[in-house]
Amino acid sequence: MDDLYLDNIDEFVNDQNKIVTYKWLSLTLGVHVNTAKQMLYHYLQQKRNESSGTPLHATYLVSGKCVENGSTYHKVSVVREDKLDAVKAKMDVTISVHVYSVQRAELKDSSPLYSTDYDAVKENLKNCNKYSAIRCAAAVPLSSSELQRAQEKALVPPVEKEISKPGFNENTSATSKPSAKQPAGIMGMFASKNASKSQESSKEVKTEQKEDFSLVETSKSKTASKANPMSNFFGKSAQKKADEKPNKSIKEEMDSSSTASATASLKQSQTSSKSETDVKEEQSKVSKALKVESKDTRNKTKRPEVVDSDDEKMLSQQKKRRRIKKPQPDSSDEEVVPDSPPVPNVHTPSPKKQVKREPVSHQEVSITNIMTEKGYVSESYSESEEEPESNSQAKDSSSLKHQKKTSAAKKPTKQPSIMGFFQKK
Amino acid sequence: MIFYKRDAPLFIKGCCIYFGCFSMATLTRQDLNFGQVVADILCEFLEVAIHLILYVREIYPSGIFQKRKKYNVPVQMSCHPELNQYIQDTLHCVKPLIQKNEAEKVVMVIMDKEHHPVERFVFEISQPPLLSISSETLLSHVEQLLRAMILKISVCDAVLDNNPPGCTFTLLVHTREAATRNMEKVQVIKDFPWIVADEQEVHMEEAKLIPLKTMTSDILKMQLYVEERTQKN
Repeated sequence: MDDLYLDNIDEFVNDQNKIVTYKWLSLTLGVHVNTAKQMLYHYLQQKRNESSGTPLHATYLVSGKCVENGSTYHKVSVVREDKLDAVKAKMDVTISVHVYSVQRAELKDSSPLYSTDYDAVKENLKNCNKYSAIRCAAAVPLSSSELQRAQEKALVPPVEKEISKPGFNENTSATSKPSAKQPAGIMGMFASKNASKSQESSKEVKTEQKEDFSLVETSKSKTASKANPMSNFFGKSAQKKADEKPNKSIKEEMDSSSTASATASLKQSQTSSKSETDVKEEQSKVSKALKVESKDTRNKTKRPEVVDSDDEKMLSQQKKRRRIKKPQPDSSDEEVVPDSPPVPNVHTPSPKKQVKREPVSHQEVSITNIMTEKGYVSESYSESEEEPESNSQAKDSSSLKHQKKTSAAKKPTKQPSIMGFFQKK
Repeated sequence: MIFYKRDAPLFIKGCCIYFGCFSMATLTRQDLNFGQVVADILCEFLEVAIHLILYVREIYPSGIFQKRKKYNVPVQMSCHPELNQYIQDTLHCVKPLIQKNEAEKVVMVIMDKEHHPVERFVFEISQPPLLSISSETLLSHVEQLLRAMILKISVCDAVLDNNPPGCTFTLLVHTREAATRNMEKVQVIKDFPWIVADEQEVHMEEAKLIPLKTMTSDILKMQLYVEERTQKN
């Protein structure tokens, strides 16, 4: 392989002061991800040997098995170079280490890593797995009729699940309490606010996870046949690259399309980030969980996360647990997905309207969302009129659909299905 | 804590009316609703950017920051109520200026213990005289550009020297002509008074200019650069 790429990387890193992740590099140069990883590695070697010029910083993706609280977990982390050895030492078995990104700036947190990949992936949505090392022959895009059915299914369960909502909330409060206690020190001052926030968002999570339950079961049964519990996650690996983090974050952070479950995964990830240890335990029980439709709420909440139930489209991608090590001892070594505060009820009319109101219940109100949500939010802004508004809004939604497209980066018609969840409203 | 609550309703109502009636028509600057839209977008962005600069430049300990989502990417926002209130109030006052296209620059000045500026993050804003929303993807395009701006702020460490400890910050607005004369009448300003900035804060001796990012879109042009004092300590 000729060395022109070294000059390219050099230009990106030094001249443009970009963060060059391997995924971004692979999409930009049009090479396989493994090639991109090697390129970055060689570039680092070369620059370090020269020992001149601007200092470079790198982050690495480490994956391996480690034992925590008596159970074995497969842990995948993105770590800064200075923490690399420490993390490797903590693992029983280090399965793989590779360069994740190279940049000039010393990153204080992982957010820019995600941002870097976001636009690159968005532009190549249709074929963002072109250079990926993950393949699954069974992962094919849904036809539009299947998509319809899935959406209909998603609408039906929420009605039933609403009844059992109070029961789940109790459980949620138990799981969210530990997370509320996590912020220490300075954050402790704001802890009371956080606790109430996390409670609120957990409640929302619960209801939406119920919707996914039916979808989850179909995917579960398909993957149940795999012998190895771990491979159940990887069973229907999809279109994504080896590195899950940005994908998962993209899934989680991109505002959902009209389907409820898309948002559910966002909320789920929030719950997951809140109760990581619970999730880890869940991993080891996953094969049983997949087969048994247990009424255990814990399982219910975790399974959707684990199996990644967000429409059949999203099915089971590699659900490696991602732990992004932050440079500071943050209160939570968590996913890129932030615990953004829930939009207050003024803006998000009651959860029972969640299906249609998915966009509104989003915690983040980004610019594009505002544009599409206006149909919902502006009318519901007069709180007293919430109820009657919902009907008119249902009708409005169809008229607003074309406006959804105005703000959606990806036109839905282009990608009928698996990529569908990437779509913004 | 809800950041955008105060502004969001205005923005949404404005947009609602706009989209409901005009769909993809061309609007001109005179349309106040549209001016509101731009001002809202810009103020939201400035809030996020200011918080991010505080985080990246370590003006405040990182413990007070929390990850939030904006423009579909994670950003760090502070949770400290007084700090947030200050920033929000400031931007609330700036917003009418932007609406009328009277704000030329919004500057975030970082000062050392002796109140000498060490860094100035300058957001130069201009709005094209004929604003038009004729493109379907305009807003997502703007979002993308703002996202890129945020990313650039995150990596600005690479091109800036470290600040001395104990820095503080302040926000300045440069307005065109005498826009501030009218401002005193506005109630919001009375609650949160502005004073004319000291010469000391406005000008920095031995400044190095480091451009960070420029964005151009149909509704907004913004340039972000940093003036950095050559010797910080």
